[in-house]
Amino acid sequence: MLHVRQLTKTYSDLMRGPITALSALTLDVFEGQIYGLLGPNGAGKTTALRILATVLQPTGGTASINGFDVVTQPSLVRRQLGFVSTNTAVYDRMTAREMVEYFGRLHGLDGELLEDRINQIFQRLQMNEIRDTLGGKMSTGMKQKVSIARALIHDPPVLIFDEATVGLDVLVARSLLAIISELRDQGKCIIYSTHIMSEVERLCDRIAIIHRGHVLSEGSLEELQERHQEDDFEELFFQLISQNEDQRLTP
Amino acid sequence: MKWSNIRLILHRELRDQFRDRRTLFMIAVLPILLYPLMGMAYLQIAQFMQEHPVRVWLIGVDSLPASPPLVTDGHFDASLFANANSVSLVELSLEQPELAEGEEIASVAREALVANEFDAVVYFPSGMKDRMQIQLNETVSDESLWNPEVFFLGAKDRSRAAFDRVNQILGRWRTLLVKQTLADREIPADIATPFRIRVRDVSENASLNAAIWSKILPFILIVWALTGAFYPAIDICAGEKERGTLETLLSSPAERNEIVWGKLLTVMVFSVATSLLNLFSLVLTGTVIISHLGFLQSNGSFAVGPPPLHTMGWLMLALLPLAAMFSALALAFATLARSSKEGQYYLLPLLLVTMPLATLPIMPTTEINLGTSLIPVTGVMLLLRCLIEGDYLTAFKFVGPVTVVTLTCCWAATRWAVKQFNEESVLFRENERFDVIVWVRHLFRDRGDTPSLAEALMCGVLLLVLKFFAQLAAATPTSWRDVVVSTSILQIALIAGPALLMAVMLTGSVRKTLLLRMPRFTTVIAAVLLAFFLHPLALSLSEFIQRLYPISPDTIEQLAAFSGMITNAPLWQKLALMALLPAVCEELAFRGFILSGLRHIGSKGMAIIVSSLFFAVLHSILQQSLAAFFLGMVIGYVAIHTGSILPCIVFHAIHNSLQLIAASFFQRVATGSAAGEASAFETAIYNRIEPLVVESTVMPGMYVYRIPVIIVSIIAAGVLLYWFRSLPYVRTPEEELQDALEHQSDSPR
Repeated sequence: MLHVRQLTKTYSDLMRGPITALSALTLDVFEGQIYGLLGPNGAGKTTALRILATVLQPTGGTASINGFDVVTQPSLVRRQLGFVSTNTAVYDRMTAREMVEYFGRLHGLDGELLEDRINQIFQRLQMNEIRDTLGGKMSTGMKQKVSIARALIHDPPVLIFDEATVGLDVLVARSLLAIISELRDQGKCIIYSTHIMSEVERLCDRIAIIHRGHVLSEGSLEELQERHQEDDFEELFFQLISQNEDQRLTP
Repeated sequence: MKWSNIRLILHRELRDQFRDRRTLFMIAVLPILLYPLMGMAYLQIAQFMQEHPVRVWLIGVDSLPASPPLVTDGHFDASLFANANSVSLVELSLEQPELAEGEEIASVAREALVANEFDAVVYFPSGMKDRMQIQLNETVSDESLWNPEVFFLGAKDRSRAAFDRVNQILGRWRTLLVKQTLADREIPADIATPFRIRVRDVSENASLNAAIWSKILPFILIVWALTGAFYPAIDICAGEKERGTLETLLSSPAERNEIVWGKLLTVMVFSVATSLLNLFSLVLTGTVIISHLGFLQSNGSFAVGPPPLHTMGWLMLALLPLAAMFSALALAFATLARSSKEGQYYLLPLLLVTMPLATLPIMPTTEINLGTSLIPVTGVMLLLRCLIEGDYLTAFKFVGPVTVVTLTCCWAATRWAVKQFNEESVLFRENERFDVIVWVRHLFRDRGDTPSLAEALMCGVLLLVLKFFAQLAAATPTSWRDVVVSTSILQIALIAGPALLMAVMLTGSVRKTLLLRMPRFTTVIAAVLLAFFLHPLALSLSEFIQRLYPISPDTIEQLAAFSGMITNAPLWQKLALMALLPAVCEELAFRGFILSGLRHIGSKGMAIIVSSLFFAVLHSILQQSLAAFFLGMVIGYVAIHTGSILPCIVFHAIHNSLQLIAASFFQRVATGSAAGEASAFETAIYNRIEPLVVESTVMPGMYVYRIPVIIVSIIAAGVLLYWFRSLPYVRTPEEELQDALEHQSDSPR
């Protein structure tokens, strides 16, 4: 469903020269699976997901979503996925319904089909109350719901959530995780990036721990615990990051 | 590109803008209120506007004749004013100064003016009265004895106003003096005024109207088309970045160029709407105020009505391309900005560049010609003036270049905007500390095999600037030796030199950049043949351009002087200097460094066009530039498809040689004049080709080929170009990606 091979992204920084934001990321995600990208801030998670969403272009490697290449078939890739990120805001001067409808139309939906999808999603996400509320007047939780509705309107097989619970209160975050879990059960292929360990433990089928653009370890939660002889996931994460930092600083 | 997506984006953006109070205020409310308010304020202020009295010091009034009176009751005589009520506008002081020993009247006057005691000082010398008694046949020796002097401070408005009033009054007094003197001698007064000039403006009211409005309206049109484009552009680009919605849109199925077109059309709608609303509001208010002023003047001279309907029609027609151009520019600038605030900074430079282009046509001496028609904005405005004034023939003549230039600008600006939308560094730009040394180090450290797009553009601009200054600095050549020296310096030091230097310093591979590779031998042969086949077309093209846009007499004179200098030079020297040298130097710069860098655009066609534009502008005579543009396109095509500079140099050298040889050959066999006698061999050749050529009617002493020859040669050249097209050529990664993006299929890979 989603295959990433040696995906690399380097930026040219005026002061520091070329900087590798993402180095040789390789992963496979299949239907009905949630793949967690876990890493501290600046680890390269957002860069990786932006490349998958075709907003950025990789400098090396390949990635394909549902058979479409992210570099050479970007607009077809975008039809296959829903992208929710902290950087994908909602329009202030559009109501929830208008926003979802607009993106539905951009995805080629029309008429009754679009109307049904909107009603369905608004029902499922309990958004009927904010149907006619302008984006600018919404709370963070409401905005996030609109973003998810926007990403789901065309019923994409692949979903990308980048730090989707940032800024949400516990209740809203919990209901969001429940929605994502439900989407997995429907057979969606989901990539979920976060720096919150409990979310990963709760949600993800496979996990990649990323730090400074490199994947430090990859596998299911049980595999990781076994491989690193550590049951406490937070401790495991901390150890991996510390070891990597130590190796980096050792000449 | 899907029109349905563009329409969706357009609708959304329009709705979004209409929900924004600031935009609505700028677009709709401001123009509707601004002009009536300004008009109201003007009429109000006009009531209170009055002329202030000026203070004038008259020295030496005692030496004046009593009649006709200059001063009556401490004021200038009422008969000396056009309006008798204005007497009080000049306050007089008749006090006589006490001059110290050796002190001059000028210094006294200056002191009084600087101390702001008076606004003007008039000095009548003591000899003035005697002068009035002078006899008709008497001759005068020293005029300073009686000519009055007026002192004033030119730097002060009030003092200048005082001078103007005094000057008029003294002028009228002099006329009265002349009349009186003549009357005293019993000579009819009319003898001093043998005739009067009667001025009659025979233009119809409508065209007078058109002339007045044609000065104001195009300017308003441009200012508001730009301003009206800028604010929405900032909101829908930089504003979206700021609000974080741009990434939402970028991750939707809409393609980048659909997004740009949707946004561009939105900006254009606002640009056009703002401009039109301002125009109508101004016309309405202006008509009301002018008619009111006309009523006040009551002599009918101010009776200006609304602008004729056709004026408004032409304005609206011109508005579309202008709005498109400004919208694309504004959009590209707005995309560059990280925030709305930064976006607003870019408005000023854009206005600074546009305003001179918009004000140039307002100057009465600026007329439409080939040169001015090629200037963006200015060309449109001048064409507009012709249309408004009803000069359709001139307008028809220049509608071509103006349209081409305007459409090219629109296209380039749109491409730029789309490119900005594809640049990650622009879309996700973060604050970065800038340091010149670090930047220079970065240029060396991170250099690619071929120059970057920015470096190529920089090289093009640098060459043009160098050429411009070299032209200003260089003395006009007077001999063949001078021509050799100046041409060699220009070609080697100012064209090839900088390009080579930049290639060495800024690129990792000079060989790749300058296309220094051995081509297939057949491509060189093909280049030679292509130059021969295009020769008839090139001659006719030059003739066509000169027929359409004749070379100015000044330039013809310069060209004649130049050809006089080179006539007697040996042919091999001429060919080496004017065919081979430019071929090598210009090709290294334009098809080498510049074209290699421009290919990072991702479109070979665009790269060829832009490099040809630079190549064309380098030629200082406009008529040559037009021909050079087409030549540049052909050579650029050859460069890309052969991947080698050699066929380009060969083509360019042979093309130039043929032009040179044809010029001197035809001049000799045809005229045999200054160009020297034709040899028997040349005459024999001429006799053979005579049926193929016909004398040019616009280029003296030149021949062009007959139509069938041109058609055959075009077909042959077309076949050769098609053959070049079939050659396998190396595409840049950008071109490959662009190609892949344009051919996205629905099937998974």
